Amino acid sequence: MKKYVELYWAFFRASFIADMEFRANFLTRILTDIFWYVAQVGSFEVFYQFTPKIGDWGRAETRVFLGILFVVDAIYMVMFNENLDQLPEKVRRGQLDLLLAKPVNSQFMLSLQKANTAILGNFILGASWLVWALLQRPDFSWWRTLWLLVLIPCGVCIFYCVRFLFATTSVMFTKAENIQYLWYQIYRLGMRPDSIYVPWMRVLILSIVPVGIIASVPARFLLEAPNYPMLLWAIFLAGFALFLSSRFWLYALGKYSSASS
Amino acid sequence: MLIEFTLWFAIFRGVHQLSIGGYAREYYLSYVLWAAFVARITSSWMYEFKMIEEVDSGSINGLLVRPMTFYEYYLSQLLGYKLITSVLSLIFPITVAYLWHLPTDFSRLPLALLLVTYFLILVHTISYCVTGVAFFINKVHSLTVAKNLGLWLLSGELFPLDLLPPFWRHILLNLPFSSAVYVPVGFVTGRVGISDVLQGFYSVTLGIVFFALLGNLLWTKGMRDYTGTGA
Amino acid sequence: MIAIRTTALTRVYETYEKSDGIWNSIRGFWDRKNIQKIALQPTTLEIQRGQIVGLVGANGAGKTTLLKLLSGLIHPSGGDAEVLGYRPWERKNEFLRRMSVLLGQKNQLWWDLAPADSFDLLARIYDLDRRLAKQRVQELATLMDCTQVLKVQLRRLSLGERMKMEIIGALLHEPDVLFLDEPTIGLDVVAQNAIRQFLTEYVKNKRPTVILTSHYMDDIAKLADRLLLISRGGLVYDGTVDGFIGKTESTQQIRFRYDSPLTDDLRVTSDEVLKKGAQEFQFRIQTKQLSEVVKTITGFGTVHDLKIEEADFEEVIRQFLETESRVQPSRNTH
Repeated sequence: MKKYVELYWAFFRASFIADMEFRANFLTRILTDIFWYVAQVGSFEVFYQFTPKIGDWGRAETRVFLGILFVVDAIYMVMFNENLDQLPEKVRRGQLDLLLAKPVNSQFMLSLQKANTAILGNFILGASWLVWALLQRPDFSWWRTLWLLVLIPCGVCIFYCVRFLFATTSVMFTKAENIQYLWYQIYRLGMRPDSIYVPWMRVLILSIVPVGIIASVPARFLLEAPNYPMLLWAIFLAGFALFLSSRFWLYALGKYSSASS
Repeated sequence: MLIEFTLWFAIFRGVHQLSIGGYAREYYLSYVLWAAFVARITSSWMYEFKMIEEVDSGSINGLLVRPMTFYEYYLSQLLGYKLITSVLSLIFPITVAYLWHLPTDFSRLPLALLLVTYFLILVHTISYCVTGVAFFINKVHSLTVAKNLGLWLLSGELFPLDLLPPFWRHILLNLPFSSAVYVPVGFVTGRVGISDVLQGFYSVTLGIVFFALLGNLLWTKGMRDYTGTGA
Repeated sequence: MIAIRTTALTRVYETYEKSDGIWNSIRGFWDRKNIQKIALQPTTLEIQRGQIVGLVGANGAGKTTLLKLLSGLIHPSGGDAEVLGYRPWERKNEFLRRMSVLLGQKNQLWWDLAPADSFDLLARIYDLDRRLAKQRVQELATLMDCTQVLKVQLRRLSLGERMKMEIIGALLHEPDVLFLDEPTIGLDVVAQNAIRQFLTEYVKNKRPTVILTSHYMDDIAKLADRLLLISRGGLVYDGTVDGFIGKTESTQQIRFRYDSPLTDDLRVTSDEVLKKGAQEFQFRIQTKQLSEVVKTITGFGTVHDLKIEEADFEEVIRQFLETESRVQPSRNTH
């Protein structure tokens, strides 16, 4: 365990050195995500001009939800996104081979070896928005943010696992672009507050495709009285998803045929 | 798209009234349907990436000796590709609009699609500018992402632009980018009149001229500095 | 002691027939003809510890498949293998720490980092003492004469320098078993020689077990003490390098000059006679006669500028297989 923490830190530093090569990238990444943030926030601000509530959430609650979404998304982007996006390409070019020959858990190596440090700016931006949104709530007890210590890791973990499952299919099928597209559609389910969904869909995003845990559940813990069964459920799901992803990875590797060259 | 549908259902549940901004729920569903279709036509990823790749890899040299400019070559590729895919995928929104009785004025469709096609020339001209930047900076792919997200924001795909407060509405409607989604879709779903469509043609023309000038500037300067190897 | 042992190790790839034309492709969507492509026929072999084995064969013959099976990158379809007492594809960390794979066409080092930084990461991955690892990098780099590029970003290095860095990376943890797949591919002659030289030195000192594949006869001839030839997924030759060349009918061009014209006719082989009065010669001989011919001509006078064209290995193998198939019926199972 200690080895892995140290190794991750070493990867992180190495990634930072590599990323510094492309300074323009830091700027365009932040610009891109500002557009994205504005789009998310802007849409809801427009909708709330016409209605006090969407589902059971008003403007202020949705702002908090978006803050959590930005933070979780930024953490995921920093840690995992580049690795998982490139996974199909790595498989196609046969670069998985050398990785498999290392005495380190291959899932760990594959998922975490390249951090995208250019996104750190976005993390700060997202976190600032969250803090601002919480400051707007007069009776907010800041103790509640402690829930995030548990729930944000759960959210990131589930985010990662679902994405990883989709990316892993590329080990078995060489053409997996459509599957990656499907992933994006599922992620979009989680990008909306769970309050907009009809009950059966809400059940769906909290169980089988648990993208609701990514942002909606942490937001509810900040906004409402703690729901302990939900807390346990989120922790269980995160652990289970992680277990499932590693089993699936091993299964996929058994099918792996390696690029012929 | 189903997510957008759900969202509008939820919004209307919250409003407890029959219309928002003067339009009933069906109008929004119809808007979402057509916006998803039109937005897919008016965003260019693949060809822009290809164009950038040509400059980055240096394979552009092969194109430069052809009796057709780089601009024309890729414009014809883009239009050809979009024409085929769009005509085929047109079946989908038409079927859905017909089956669910979503308000759609089919007689207005040809003019709306004409504006969309015209807008593609602007899209391509902007791609041309981004490609021009590739002469000076490596890894401009992230610029494409930023630009497309920016256009997404301004086009009206997220929500009908007439819902915006007057100040913003005025700005966005006068920019050519609203012709990517809002003007043609609004025209088909009855939110926008013929005068706005004509205004759309006019502002897209201005946009094309502006970006063509910018693109030419970048390319003349870029080609002068270009080493030919593209390392 | 035996380092590598396989028993009836097999790998079969399942693919489907790719049909041409759009209608056939659409039909192929449900009506797919599965083809079993045998990449490796049941192979049984033993390799002693410290042995350097050259693995050769035409493209697609199954060399890389065997190498990947033994290094645990892919699972077999049948049979079993044991490397250092481990089953490779279980990929136990203890096993992975004791072996190394070098794939000539791929890099394991990080593209955007300087090799020195990459080696530091590798040291952590292999749980090495980082100070010792650094020392070792210096030693290896000095041997290959490339200390000056350690701090330069990998992407800015030449192909030859990059390969040297990859080799350092592969040897950093002093593996007991080393799989080298085309370590000199695509390099210029100078770089090839440097790497060959280095590997020869290295195996002499450290005595690892090595399996080496290469397109270049020289790699194999210089390094290997045992040669395995694979053809169509099956092992067709197992023996010494010289024994192999003796069995082929490949020819090589030889060129040289004496310091003065010949004073008499000189018969070098049954059908090659060097004429009296000439000084420069150029002719083809069979590879298996090479050492004898060289002995004859050097025994006759002082030889200058002796140039022997390198045998085209693909050609040698092709000829060997042709000869074999004349002797015994084809082993081809297709």
